[in-house]
Amino acid sequence: MNTNSNAYTVIYTTLVVVVVAAVLAFTAMKLKPSQDANAKAETLRQMMSAAQIKPTDELYATRNTGILQLYADNIDHAYTIALDGSQNGSLSTDKASIELVDNLKPQNKAIKDGGAVTLPVYVFKSGVSVIPVYGAGLWGPIWGYIAFQPDGKTIAGAYFDHESETPGLGAKIKDEAWFREGFIGKQVAFGTEEPFVLAKNATKGGAENAVDAITGATMTSKGLGEALNVWFKAYEKHFSTFKAEED
Amino acid sequence: MDQKLKETILNPILKGNPITVLILGICSSLAVTVQLKGAIVMAISVTLVTGLSSLVVSLLRNTIPMRVRIIVQLVVVALMVILVDQILKAGEGTYAIDKQLSVYIGLIITNCIVMGRIEAFALGNKPIPSLLDGLANGVGYGLILVIVAFFRELFGSGTLFGIQILPAGYIPNNLVILPPFALILLGCIIWAHRAYDKDLQEK
Repeated sequence: MNTNSNAYTVIYTTLVVVVVAAVLAFTAMKLKPSQDANAKAETLRQMMSAAQIKPTDELYATRNTGILQLYADNIDHAYTIALDGSQNGSLSTDKASIELVDNLKPQNKAIKDGGAVTLPVYVFKSGVSVIPVYGAGLWGPIWGYIAFQPDGKTIAGAYFDHESETPGLGAKIKDEAWFREGFIGKQVAFGTEEPFVLAKNATKGGAENAVDAITGATMTSKGLGEALNVWFKAYEKHFSTFKAEED
Repeated sequence: MDQKLKETILNPILKGNPITVLILGICSSLAVTVQLKGAIVMAISVTLVTGLSSLVVSLLRNTIPMRVRIIVQLVVVALMVILVDQILKAGEGTYAIDKQLSVYIGLIITNCIVMGRIEAFALGNKPIPSLLDGLANGVGYGLILVIVAFFRELFGSGTLFGIQILPAGYIPNNLVILPPFALILLGCIIWAHRAYDKDLQEK
């Protein structure tokens, strides 16, 4: 047979593409449930690391089923808020409705554009409220979870992650325990122009709302500082109601 | 025949190593060698992709229209790469590593070793030797990856497989972590390889 004729070439390439597409569609369908389970467990690990439910290493050594159980044991309730601080929805606390990182990107855009948002708040039984933050690092998105004490301004814990920051430099926001532990006990200055400072020598004057930036990771630190401030401002009105309840 | 098969398997690992002799696949060997674990997963992924793509193309070699052969090869390689990526994402233990390797798994498709072996070997040889040639090239690539990652993780983080090896007082060398150091290290490996195997030296 002449394998170089036009008709043969067209039919051949069409067949190859159809077969490959079928194989890929089948695999994607088969593997989707376990991929989703992994992504959800990952989000839960990060949230529970921020909420100080268990040490981060231990969370990462736990299998997915163990993580789901741990979450079910510790979560109290979850809801979403609008920019004016009012609740505009409740989140089911079962594993099906976990806010994945992918969902934070449109929220981040909506905050900046002043659009309608549904910002999640996860309240754990220990009393801490966990909120996400999201922004741009040097090479790609960075995000994290911040746990607040019941007073609505003291940070109980934090966890950060990134897509493609430089290993050994920007990636330290995720890799180095001392960086996230530096946030514990800090107080966010809600209502001010810059609620939280992440900069060189930021803690020198004993500032309550500051953490030192990472040496050699200027752009990642800057991006993270901006992400924190954008999201803290978005939650500002909501957390101000916490203080009112306390008084 | 037996001698030829042995040659097919051993040549890519030693005398015809894709990285140190053919200087292919340099890009990813700089990017994914910060930690041993990532390097090993990358090595296994590339080995599977080169092996299976060579096998499939070799099976199809008499039917592929010559004018569009590169496109057909590319489709086959892309299929294998996406399969590997999807499987890594689905495994509980490999999910974190896939996240760490991020785009580099997807970029295996641009690794010159894969297309190079298909063009140079699989198109003109029977399926079994093609499979072995692909796998052996992957192993040759992976071997260098692991050697580079060993030094970079040891001196860049003081750990191996995430376990602290060097004493706690060791201050990790930041240069080792950055890609340029991998290039320097690669140069040293090529130097050592050429010094050991005199046949590789140009007259």
